[in-house]
Amino acid sequence: MMQDSRTLVDHFFRHEYGRLVAVLTRSLGIRNLELVEDVVQSSLSKALVTWRTNGIPDDPAAWLFRTSRNLAIDAIRRTQTEHRLLSSKLLAPETRDEVANQTVHFAEEVGDESLRLLFLCCHPNIPLESSIAFALKTVSGFSTDEVSSALLITRANAEKRITRAKERLREIGTEITELDNAALESRIDAVQSTIYLVFNEGYASSGGHTTLRKDLCEEAIRLALMLVASVPSVATSSCALLALMLMHSARFDARVDMHGSVVLLKDQDRSRWDWNRIREALDWMSKSADGTRLSRYHVEAAIAWEHCRAESFDEIDWSMIAVHYKCLQRIHSGPMVRLNLAIALSYSSSPEIGLTFLSDIVKEDRTRLRPWWDCAMADVLSRMGNFEDAISHWQDALLLASNPDQRELIAKQIAQAKNKKATPSK
Amino acid sequence: MAKFLLLYRDAAEPRTQPSPEEMQAFLAMWGEWFQQFGPKIVDGGDALLPTGRVLMPGGEVANGPYVEAKEVIGGFSVVEAEHYGSAVEIAKACPIAKIGGAIEIREFAGYN
Repeated sequence: MMQDSRTLVDHFFRHEYGRLVAVLTRSLGIRNLELVEDVVQSSLSKALVTWRTNGIPDDPAAWLFRTSRNLAIDAIRRTQTEHRLLSSKLLAPETRDEVANQTVHFAEEVGDESLRLLFLCCHPNIPLESSIAFALKTVSGFSTDEVSSALLITRANAEKRITRAKERLREIGTEITELDNAALESRIDAVQSTIYLVFNEGYASSGGHTTLRKDLCEEAIRLALMLVASVPSVATSSCALLALMLMHSARFDARVDMHGSVVLLKDQDRSRWDWNRIREALDWMSKSADGTRLSRYHVEAAIAWEHCRAESFDEIDWSMIAVHYKCLQRIHSGPMVRLNLAIALSYSSSPEIGLTFLSDIVKEDRTRLRPWWDCAMADVLSRMGNFEDAISHWQDALLLASNPDQRELIAKQIAQAKNKKATPSK
Repeated sequence: MAKFLLLYRDAAEPRTQPSPEEMQAFLAMWGEWFQQFGPKIVDGGDALLPTGRVLMPGGEVANGPYVEAKEVIGGFSVVEAEHYGSAVEIAKACPIAKIGGAIEIREFAGYN
């Protein structure tokens, strides 16, 4: 019978899944990844039945490790060809003490193992979208269905991306154990952008399964925490990335009102922001200031902080934000940065300046920025009193908007603009 | 007090594997069930693997569990109850029922 009411920490199964896959893949090689995944899944199934009857053991992580290890040995014994080589690697610690030591060793190396798997899948020959899907499935323990809901892609598409990453990894043939420090450092940028993309997938859209999207943000933060702890040579940019994500995620709940509609930054109730989290972010931000290299994450964190520290939308220091965006343009230029700079300038200088900058964005870039470019144009024009053109831009945006929340928000803006247009004195 | 066997029946066609997150939620549901009915659950039982053999009359051995309807037996527990009514109540609160599985409830004859 359930002996006591010991419970598991949130996401325990998901995180253990990722850890165990990483640890066993290290021993058995990336070519046995599928076997490893089956074994770990089976050990979770076993835990489900054993623990429901006997209660949760003192050290559930160690229990799962032992079970997966034994299941892996059994599975390998059944496949004759690789038997000797592989089972010797797993069988090595035989006595009870040795198993216990292995567990200690395991607990210490856990973060490292998962992270190494993440570095492995951030190989330059694997498309980023595949790395992300693979990382979520394998390092973070999401199911294929969860990957598809979290990334707002079809199940078939999610499966395809994961499979592609696995195939490429097999072709490349590098093992986790072969990743040396040089390889780790050369991939740090890719790892950081993967983590940031995971975060943005969760944060950027409020569509789909809200809990899962929030999990995605938390997962990115967890991975960044591991990164900060494990790769000290690049810790400052990782600290900045962590600070940035913490600051954004502090606003997660305030972005949606009680009816589930999206709330614009300027209309958000700032008391609903998670101020503990913002303080935590500030700690990481000061740690990020130690290094000599200014990363995009430093600058983006500084921008996020400007938004956090303003007591209301009207008190935002837009000229500071514009300075940061100019700086970001030098480190990490791109159409989105230009768009944001234009918006900042439209507030710090004048809507007219903003309009000039927005109009200067070349056509191909505008296409990539839609519907955001249309919304920014409309906002600037309406602040200039040109409601007619503003409405026409919002209508373009409405056609291009990909999710219902965006459309609802834009429709609201159109209604407001029409109202103001009808009563110009207001 | 009589004993009842709860037979958990799953859909025969393989459904997608539950995610680790779903499994943890499922374990928490079992925890609640044991909390609620602790002393009445005589044996938490076990799960059954989806494979099996059927020994036919005459000695022929067939592969796979005996699939009569669209369900296979996926596991079982043993509970104690005054009568069918209260056994059904225990079954209703069981996670298998809560996730949409069918449960067959059979009273032990008590001959043994």
